[in-house]
Amino acid sequence: MNAAIALIISFPAVLLISLLFEGIDRKLHARMQKRIGPPVIQPFYDLIKLFNKGRVIPLTASVRVFEIMPMIAAAVSLLGASILLSGILFGLSMIGDLIVVMYLLAMSSIALMVGGSASGNPYSAIGFSRKMSMMIAYEVPMFIAVISVAFGSTPSLAIDRIIKFQANLGLPLAASRPSMSLAAAAFLLCMPAASSAIPFDIPEAKTEIIYGLLVEYCGPYLALAKIAKAASNFALTLLASIVFLYIPSLLWENAPLNSGISLSLCLTTALLIMFTTMTVPRTILARLKIGQALKFYWMVPLTLSLSSIILSAAGL
Amino acid sequence: MFRIVSRGRIKSPWIFHLNTGSCNGCDIEIVAAFTPRYDLERFGCLLVGSPRHADVLLVTGPVTRQMLPRLIRVYEQIPEPKVVVAVGTCASSGSPFLGSEMVEGPVDRIIPVDTYIVGCPPRPEAIASGIITAVMSKFR
Amino acid sequence: MVVERNVEKEVEVEYARLRIPFGPVHPALKEPVSLRVSVRGEEVIDVDMVLGHVHRGIEALAEGRNLIQTLYLIERICGICSHSHTTCFIQALEEIGGIAPSERALYLRTLIFEMERIHSHLLLLGVMAYEIGFDTLFMFIWHVREKILDLFEKITGNRIHHAMNTIGGVRWNLTPQIASEINSCMKEMEKAVKYVRDIFTDGTVEKRICGLGVLDYSEALKLCVVGPTARGSGVDIDVRRDHPYAAYNDLKGNFSVITRRDGDVHARIEVRVLEIFESINIIRAILEKLPEGPIRPEENVLRLMRRIPEGEAVSLVEAPRGELFYFVKTDGKGGLRRLKVRTPTFSNLIGLKSMLLGCEIADIPVIVASIDPCLSCTNRVTIVDQRSGESKVVSLDALRRVVREK
Repeated sequence: MNAAIALIISFPAVLLISLLFEGIDRKLHARMQKRIGPPVIQPFYDLIKLFNKGRVIPLTASVRVFEIMPMIAAAVSLLGASILLSGILFGLSMIGDLIVVMYLLAMSSIALMVGGSASGNPYSAIGFSRKMSMMIAYEVPMFIAVISVAFGSTPSLAIDRIIKFQANLGLPLAASRPSMSLAAAAFLLCMPAASSAIPFDIPEAKTEIIYGLLVEYCGPYLALAKIAKAASNFALTLLASIVFLYIPSLLWENAPLNSGISLSLCLTTALLIMFTTMTVPRTILARLKIGQALKFYWMVPLTLSLSSIILSAAGL
Repeated sequence: MFRIVSRGRIKSPWIFHLNTGSCNGCDIEIVAAFTPRYDLERFGCLLVGSPRHADVLLVTGPVTRQMLPRLIRVYEQIPEPKVVVAVGTCASSGSPFLGSEMVEGPVDRIIPVDTYIVGCPPRPEAIASGIITAVMSKFR
Repeated sequence: MVVERNVEKEVEVEYARLRIPFGPVHPALKEPVSLRVSVRGEEVIDVDMVLGHVHRGIEALAEGRNLIQTLYLIERICGICSHSHTTCFIQALEEIGGIAPSERALYLRTLIFEMERIHSHLLLLGVMAYEIGFDTLFMFIWHVREKILDLFEKITGNRIHHAMNTIGGVRWNLTPQIASEINSCMKEMEKAVKYVRDIFTDGTVEKRICGLGVLDYSEALKLCVVGPTARGSGVDIDVRRDHPYAAYNDLKGNFSVITRRDGDVHARIEVRVLEIFESINIIRAILEKLPEGPIRPEENVLRLMRRIPEGEAVSLVEAPRGELFYFVKTDGKGGLRRLKVRTPTFSNLIGLKSMLLGCEIADIPVIVASIDPCLSCTNRVTIVDQRSGESKVVSLDALRRVVREK
């Protein structure tokens, strides 16, 4: 019962923070391009507008799937993010919530994929096939990195255990052992692809396939898709910040889980992670081709995460 | 509640740009309006690639015969509420191509236009001011 | 619903092959052109092109107007190379009328011409960066480009359509103050373009543009491509050197023709970047050598226009995109009997198909942008390049129609 209330409370908080994160990302991106950029609360304006726009459903779409999938995507990624947030806020956790969060985030991508491809647009079809390849490329190293973390900490799949482990250790997990640093590196390298930021925004390339999967979505559906993306980006950054880089553990022994300071420290770390893994790459890099992206992901992050799991099995 | 909605609409006009046979001058100036010196994005404008995402339709050029059906289709694809802005003298009045067999325009003969931005081509500042005027008057 | 079921069946039959409409309304294209691209997976296996979306009937309009009206009409053929069009037209008129513009006028024409080349090439480089998803570079290049536009505005009073040329000369003079401003701007420009050149040889950008859209030397000769597209394939042509016009005869020693042999997108980009340096050199030489004198005849331009006899002339200039050709036939009463324009993009578009075959979907916008298509130039005549005899694919047209008309 407690858990349900905590989740319900953290839902709006997640929405608020993830949209703010997106606004900060856009502002920083613009500032790095010598522009003034949109106001930080721009995503809120966008959402208000989109929810009040008319709906157009293409004739070629299979209507139910097309309509329902953005809702599922938004709900699932919000849920994923709020599990994480309520984990820090109220110290709630359950067995295996690390896997649940990862599953929910993958689920939201898949829901958008299915919904987009249900529109019947050829660009969506290409976007679907590209997103599929990209997911295969980044989800595998990401999951291996997470598994390596689960082995490397207590071993546990519960997030609060991992946090406590770091607090007792007095070190963020990424700095504790070479295997964990490798896992953190693999996870962080997968972030731009998971968030479809520019070097890996291949499934949504504007100049190539007109946003791919999102091309036919309009109004409220687009708003839901945007929420899904913002929330899952936020969840990913938060996950990285509390699992790999739990900064409060540096400050005091046995850092309390749910104090305001540790929460704000976690959010700041998440913001920094977002800045380095999404905003900066999307400012300084050009978009890759799908083959190059696949090659990169199979070469670097996969090797990193595999060697991390081998090292952690060897006890390093 | 209504005020929040109208504020959201005013603050986030997403732009779809359709070239219906212009000479490129206006199109360049529209893109230039998004570059650092003018930076339309600070008003929340985004240049989107699909008419389904758009609120504002920027039409340049005196509608040529081949682009006429496309103009109508793109106009219909934009979900309500929408604003149409005719950019440049060609789109506003058709000159200097008025009288050509292949020109069906100006734009307001085909779809309702909310704001006209004249100039050949209009400066990026004029385009920015035109877009803001259009959304302010329509969504207020 | 019946239609849709049919479509599904057809997709099953042609499972491996998907036709995607690339344009006429597409965010990668600022202008409408319709490429119908057949793909298998990500690979392009066929390209079909439909032009004519920007056909405004300019040549027909020109025949009903007098020469001065036509001058301002043909300036609106293209917003990027407007000065090339008017220069070419005016040269033909001056040849028919036997009017010799003063030296200073010719130099000023050349000055605007080269500034326009810088502006056009920078524009293309920016668009190129935008196509490969490098927004920051796009913003940077267009920010640099604004400086050139400022100079245009100071000299002629307009950013895009300069309206510089008039019969027998140019309309605006250059004050020493503006000349020094141009000089200082060129210094900044050189620095900025060097930076841009470094970025275009950077790893992430190179990955997207090297070895793409190859048009080899013999193919380029066969298809008669012009301008930087030809020079990127090793064809050494440049109207400025081969048939000097305006002040280029005096400036021959101040520039060289850049060629690259690779024939890929990177070569074409490199040619353009290096041409900007050549243009900067030319502008510096012009400012140094600029002779004194009147810039236009004393006589009223309308009287001049009426004095132009019946006759015909051919004129060539090197526009930023390549060789621009005008055939002008006057009727002796201040009007035109026939105007024929052949723009560089028209020649270059033909090379597009052999560049596109075998590339990936992600490369289409990059390759199309690499020839710097200026379709508003090209579409004065409707060209429908429909390949027949592809009955297998034509059946899938239904799919495309349904998809586009939803």
